[in-house]
Amino acid sequence: MAESTIVLGMADLMVVPAPVKLVTLGLGSCIGLVVFDSFAKVAGMAHIMLPDSRGLKGSEKVGKFADTAVPALIEEMLKKGATRPRIKAKIAGGAQMFSLPGSSAEFLTVGAKNVKETKLKLAKMGIALVASDTGGNKGRTIEFSTSNWLLKVKTLGKGISEI
Amino acid sequence: MADIELFNALQLDAIREVGNIGTGNAATALSGLLSRMIQMDVPKVELVSIYELGEHYGDPMQIVGAVFVRSTGGFGCSLIFIQNEDDADLMVELLLKQQFGTYIPVNEIPEEMKDSALSEVGNIVLSSFLNAINLLVGTHHQISVPGVAHDMLSSILDVVASIYGQMGETALLVNTELRVEGLDAGRKISGHIILIPDPDALELLLTRLKVM
Repeated sequence: MAESTIVLGMADLMVVPAPVKLVTLGLGSCIGLVVFDSFAKVAGMAHIMLPDSRGLKGSEKVGKFADTAVPALIEEMLKKGATRPRIKAKIAGGAQMFSLPGSSAEFLTVGAKNVKETKLKLAKMGIALVASDTGGNKGRTIEFSTSNWLLKVKTLGKGISEI
Repeated sequence: MADIELFNALQLDAIREVGNIGTGNAATALSGLLSRMIQMDVPKVELVSIYELGEHYGDPMQIVGAVFVRSTGGFGCSLIFIQNEDDADLMVELLLKQQFGTYIPVNEIPEEMKDSALSEVGNIVLSSFLNAINLLVGTHHQISVPGVAHDMLSSILDVVASIYGQMGETALLVNTELRVEGLDAGRKISGHIILIPDPDALELLLTRLKVM
């Protein structure tokens, strides 16, 4: 069966059976979270924008926040045949696009908070984080393929790496 | 805090007018810096879904040069001066030619000097924009040191999502374009100014303008 390509937009979250290629374009401070079970042949991705949903109205997309995206993604994986001990995770993104010396604006460091919260949630749920490419000041485009279960990360000026 | 999705036409007009006055001052300052005529558009006040920011301003994957500043004080806001990377290169060439009198092709200009020139242009454009607004609204402000980035449009605009995403799913932006025309071979340089008001500063702005 041919591998289809799915591009996820901001706050999108989805789990699909292999073969598939999951893509997210131009991650800045956002996080691309990939989870997969290579035995059950199923993979999922979420495009996380912010660390936590506290104090916000409940009507929003679950993929938007790290604290809601991680449990939703895992639940969806289990529904599609994955088992929790076999699920592995990879993350990329969480850059700080602008540094303003002397400015204490909190939103500028949201990338680092996204990384921290995503890792924390994964650890709490007992999901192994097997690879990550996070931080820095450059945007990333990512592609996860179930043909080799590798996450391809493209960074401007740094080329492509596979993790 | 005011719900931006419930602003009426009069309030949106008032915000647009603020953008207009800012843009006029920014165009004048850029014109002085480059000794060139600057064309400007009437600004647009836009309510944009934070999930569609990347697509809203063109190809989300295009490489852009962006200068970012934060303003704190009375009217808190962030401002981005954003250009297609080719336009940013032309702008740097033009500025250096203007200041040193000799033309240096952009590929011979060291990266740090390019960034510093771009940051200078952005700083002048954005602080002129802000000065006009603050004069109109009667507030004082402090402007941060500018930050420069070259990257995919969609990555740059994550910063807007991280400001408005905390409050909801819609961002209120004032968007305007400045153009340098009359260059050799009919070329032109274009740059967008995007004003991102702090959500909690909008009420103050509208109160001062007597439309809230």
